[in-house]
Amino acid sequence: MMIGTIFDIREFAVHDGPGIRTTVFLKGCPLRCAWCHNPEGFVRAFQTLSTAAGSRTVGQNISAEDLARLLNRQAHILRAGEGGVTFSGGEPLMQTPFVAEVIDRLEDTHVVLDTSGYAEQDDFRLVARRCNLVYFDLKLIDPTDHRRFTGQENGPILKNLSSLAEMGIPYVVRVPLVPGVTDTDCNLTAIAEVVRDLPGLVEVNLLPYNRAAGGKYEGLGLSFQPSWDETRAVNANVTCFTDVGLKATVVGWTTEEGQENG
Amino acid sequence: MDSRLESMRQSVRNGAHRSLRRGPEIGILAECEREGLSWVRRSARLTRRMCEAEQVVIAPDERIVFVRTVQSVPPLYNPSDWIALTSHRKLHELGPISNICADWEMVLDQGLLGRRAAAQATRARLATDPAAVEFLDCAIETIDAVLALADRYARGARERLRQDVADVLEQVPARKPRSFRGALQFLRLCHAVLWMSGHYHCGLGRFDQYMWPYLKADLDSGRLDEPQAEALLAEFFISLNKDSDLYPGVQQGDNGQSLMLGGVRRDGSCGVNPLTYMALRVALEVSMIDPKINLRVTPDTDLDLLELAAKLTRRGLGFPQYSNDEVVIPGLVRHGYDLEDARDYTVAACWEYIIPGRGMDVVNIGAVSLPAAVHEGIVEGLRKAESFECILARTAGNIEAQVRSLADAYRDLLLPPAPYYSVLMDGCLETGRDCSHGLQYNNFGIHGAASSSAADALAAVRQVVFERRTASASDLLRALDSNLRGYEAIERELKHGAPKVGNNDESVDALLVWLLDRFAGACESYGDNGRGGLLRPGSGSAMYYVWLAQGRRGMSEPVVGATADGRRRGEFFSANLAPSPGAVVRGPISVLQTFSKLDYARICNGGPITMELAESVFRDPGSIRRVAMLIRTFAHLGCQQLQLNTLDIETLRDARRHPERHRNLIVRVWGWSGYFCELAPEYQDQIVSRHMYALRASAIPLTAKEVIGHEPCARNDSIDDLHAVPGRPKR
Repeated sequence: MMIGTIFDIREFAVHDGPGIRTTVFLKGCPLRCAWCHNPEGFVRAFQTLSTAAGSRTVGQNISAEDLARLLNRQAHILRAGEGGVTFSGGEPLMQTPFVAEVIDRLEDTHVVLDTSGYAEQDDFRLVARRCNLVYFDLKLIDPTDHRRFTGQENGPILKNLSSLAEMGIPYVVRVPLVPGVTDTDCNLTAIAEVVRDLPGLVEVNLLPYNRAAGGKYEGLGLSFQPSWDETRAVNANVTCFTDVGLKATVVGWTTEEGQENG
Repeated sequence: MDSRLESMRQSVRNGAHRSLRRGPEIGILAECEREGLSWVRRSARLTRRMCEAEQVVIAPDERIVFVRTVQSVPPLYNPSDWIALTSHRKLHELGPISNICADWEMVLDQGLLGRRAAAQATRARLATDPAAVEFLDCAIETIDAVLALADRYARGARERLRQDVADVLEQVPARKPRSFRGALQFLRLCHAVLWMSGHYHCGLGRFDQYMWPYLKADLDSGRLDEPQAEALLAEFFISLNKDSDLYPGVQQGDNGQSLMLGGVRRDGSCGVNPLTYMALRVALEVSMIDPKINLRVTPDTDLDLLELAAKLTRRGLGFPQYSNDEVVIPGLVRHGYDLEDARDYTVAACWEYIIPGRGMDVVNIGAVSLPAAVHEGIVEGLRKAESFECILARTAGNIEAQVRSLADAYRDLLLPPAPYYSVLMDGCLETGRDCSHGLQYNNFGIHGAASSSAADALAAVRQVVFERRTASASDLLRALDSNLRGYEAIERELKHGAPKVGNNDESVDALLVWLLDRFAGACESYGDNGRGGLLRPGSGSAMYYVWLAQGRRGMSEPVVGATADGRRRGEFFSANLAPSPGAVVRGPISVLQTFSKLDYARICNGGPITMELAESVFRDPGSIRRVAMLIRTFAHLGCQQLQLNTLDIETLRDARRHPERHRNLIVRVWGWSGYFCELAPEYQDQIVSRHMYALRASAIPLTAKEVIGHEPCARNDSIDDLHAVPGRPKR
């Protein structure tokens, strides 16, 4: 019986895939992206999060069977709502056997893997082939910048991306737009170059930087030190992608009257 | 909306029309006393004098006219006579009949002249029955008063060279409208006179059902095209906001101008029509607090209708509120409503189900404080070292005692005569009986308030004292006595260690179901309510989530201090059907699953599952469809009623700091929507501390303290005094 560590389960997670979804956040991540808004996902160990509302323990051990049972109790609702379950984090691939077992126990459920792509190739393939859709983060193409802002090499990520492209599973490449870091035309163009000829790409999502990103650091005893200008508007330059024939969408922006953006 | 309507909307919102309120402040006491008038004659005289005192106001660009120029409704009796008349009887709230819904379909169809003819025919038939003759004379007096007012408006229109307005008013409300515009004008005037007669929470009923024939005839004949019809409807909706500052209510906006859309017809066929859609579209455009839109749905309701409703939800007005026909109708039938009538349900002021024209139910005689029933059971039971089962038995007894005490107090209910309302109800003119004597349905509704908090308290005690035994009975009693101060370990255990309602967790959900079943059982066993009706238990809380938690002058419901769910004294209880404040929940799906377990056939008074969506939900592509599917999930799961609100916590925070920048910010309060900045601070606090669903991952739910910069308000009598409360006329 596999035991996993999660830090949250959130229903009606409208930003984590199609339809009505429930997202499971797995605890532990190999990357330390400087802009990460879920720092409680960094380490697998339980932590105490202190806020004005009081302190609470972040982290919960749960068996694959229990988690699957919990999710299966709402599977019919997720199906009827054209959605399913999303595994996010943290990095779900840090707990590959657990995640794979949970997926295997799900009853006819659409599964999205939301991943940084940083994992052993076997682990990556093990989970990815059990999913209906992969949200694959691509942050920085320049290896030095990647190391500097995430703490890891991007080699394994790019390797898994090409592996994913060969698997025939649809995927969305998601680019967090951090002002002056990832949102430069240079980086966006480089990303476009990497993904333009990959088969199976549904679209590119650009996710503008959220200024509330640093909110939880202090409560965890961490410090959030952005080296970029947080107040600067992000460069959501979709043309870097559309110019080479890719579909790209800025997620989470509203236009006038609250109409959805395309 | 075109610029004419936009400026009309702005002007109503800015209250420009209030400068017109210079009509004479009238009094009728002298003449009533001089003539020795009976109560019913005084009521009719009031309607007449109010109508006579109104001054004709027709703005140059208005098509649907009427605005009140007389500010206040004068008393019918001097204070000592009023006390002599009423002191030995129970009055409901302010006294006058409220919170019901006229049979607008019938009134429009017959016209006031048709109603007058009905009254005269009955008067001839019952000529030897002095009570009937007096009532019918009074009803006719009110009809004539409204007709005379319409006539003066028609003359005024001609003088102002507004032949179009005059033409409409020569037809309505005397006769059946010949156009959609006529029907809207009819409704505007007859509805306003209800308020002028001292009634309040006057419902608008199944608007798309009774209005559609008039609109359809205009569209079919080409007299109106769709944009013209929408403009008329927008103007009508705006007009309903004109007088709301004169309405009594617990807070500004609590005025019960509820309007129902959709649902099945009396014959069971689907009643959704083009006006259902149009009313939703226009409400979205107008975006004011009135009318308060309700939508009846089933699991099979078209997704496009739900998507349109979801767009209105996105607007953050706190409506539409959704009711599930497949659950509501059988519940009403079980409580003695004829199937055809049950299919015709609408809501009273907030969510309480009522039948237009036939319901003289008093849907809100008070609240059972479920947390108090549980708390007393826990304290007594633990003191006597009893088992958990004994605590449950005590709780059931307490619920029954509260129900009995509320219902006993209302056995001698005194409903003042209402000759004008009777004109608009079914059968009063035909039988010569004022509606205050009762109609087809005369049930009482009771709120089963704060059920989640109560169930959480039971679950926590069971776990902490009886299962895990992490605290002894005496420790827990001492902790509750000390408001949990100095007992933080126990507090944590109660608050965070025990299961909470809203997570589809059977152990605690079963207690919730049990509580509401006991509540229903207590109502059922009470029997006749003294008016030939029964007690309808509901799941709403109205303002009781604040009142029961903090106390309230003049309130008879019990107030408790710290409770075993880990809530400290004065902190809010759960509102309607929602998880307790501070309970950790995964989100809307589990919340719906939890509340789908209730036996709504027994809990039929209404009381919505209340959920707040983060405004950021709607920044995602496909969000409208997702919210529509969430509404359908609600219906699929067999839940009864849903209030879905959109809140932007940042905006609320800014509104606390800079109210002047957010004058038009609208929020749902309990069964109604109001302007955030016009609410008393304790209500603002409760809103900002609600559970928020579908926040962006990066967003952290804020506590009330973080949002407003201080601890949530405790009771504040000086604030209370600014607002009208039941039992005290608004000044």
